[in-house]
Amino acid sequence: MEAKLIRLTVNGRDETVVADPLATLQDVLRDTLQLTAVKSGCGQGGCGSCSVLVDGELRLSCLTLAERVEGTEVTTLEGLNETNAIVPLQQAFVENYAAQCGYCTAGMVMAAKALLDRNPAPSRDEIVEGLSGNLCRCTGFAPIVRAVQQAAQALSDTGEEAS
Amino acid sequence: MPELLRPASVDEAAGLFASHGAAAAILAGGTGLLRETHPSDDGVLIALDRLGLDRVESRDGGWSVGAAVSLSGLRAAVPIPALQAATREIGGPAVQNMATVGGNLFARAPFGDLAPALLALGARLVFASADGEEEQPIEAFYAGWSEDGAPRAGLLTRIEIDEPAGAVSYLKCARRRYASPSVVSVAASVEKDGSGAVSDARIALSGASAHPFRCAAAEQAVIGAGLDDAAMAAAGAAAEAAVTPATDPVASDWYRRRMAGVFVRRALAALA
Repeated sequence: MEAKLIRLTVNGRDETVVADPLATLQDVLRDTLQLTAVKSGCGQGGCGSCSVLVDGELRLSCLTLAERVEGTEVTTLEGLNETNAIVPLQQAFVENYAAQCGYCTAGMVMAAKALLDRNPAPSRDEIVEGLSGNLCRCTGFAPIVRAVQQAAQALSDTGEEAS
Repeated sequence: MPELLRPASVDEAAGLFASHGAAAAILAGGTGLLRETHPSDDGVLIALDRLGLDRVESRDGGWSVGAAVSLSGLRAAVPIPALQAATREIGGPAVQNMATVGGNLFARAPFGDLAPALLALGARLVFASADGEEEQPIEAFYAGWSEDGAPRAGLLTRIEIDEPAGAVSYLKCARRRYASPSVVSVAASVEKDGSGAVSDARIALSGASAHPFRCAAAEQAVIGAGLDDAAMAAAGAAAEAAVTPATDPVASDWYRRRMAGVFVRRALAALA
């Protein structure tokens, strides 16, 4: 089997990458495009640290074959802001001490963005459900939930999007 | 390394599935299969993503759900609360956006929580093979399971779900609310006659035996009776006696057996 050329849009940029057969989206993002906010955690769909958006929808890049995202728009944490400044959602994570070791944080922020894009004013229960596929072993989750609550409040105050 | 095949029609996919025999695995959402796939494996993965099986069509009295519809897609398109509840407690949002309705029906215990809801709803499965299409009740599909899992009958292309005639409930017993494999999951549907007696019942479990199944003994315990405490307790006891659960890191067989009884009772109480 041969490597394949795959065209996709990543963080607003058109990319053409050479991917090995059965390469995952995670392989392409981390190893080829050097987008290392995408973490490699369990590889089993259990931790959420590799979460990205594919056409605006939350997906696990470790269980997504690169060949099957041809032609899609992929967003990683690096793509939240073109100028690389932190966005209100990230600022809320900072202010609420929602990151300790930081390994889950990129996936958490992407899951939170997917939630807020769909539901800009979530209840606490909806936030818990929206983050339920992402594990954090440091914070006990409460600061992360507070960060998303604060981000939702900030967004409703300013009328901006999550990022 | 397994070879990825991406057929462009259902006929082509069914043909590949038949010709590759046991060497072929069907790749739908990938949340189950890809984590078990190793680069040293042989065989072929037949992807369903180019077959147009990712759509739900509303029809008279129900829905035709493509086998590759995602769990979140099912939840959005088919407004049956018990079915929507089942999709919410499988993995987290990312898994629900990826995992498919068809794929979940082939999941081995302790996964596969959609099955009891679809068994309680009396869903029908449509398979494509070289001989054409075959439709079978979902309980007939599970009756054909062996120790090795599902029979290789053909390619599951769609799931036919009718609007429920009676009330339907779904409950999952798990170690935590979301993103957790089941201890057991249970769904029940009952129809009542004018006097309030149960005229028909469907009670189904997953995680409690080698494969999901309808528990006839529990159903018989409530048919003809009102949904009172005695009838619900009898149904729970019948389910406890009928299950053949496994011990795994999620739960012991002892605990699963008891939770099967408790959750059958609770699923019925939700309909009382």
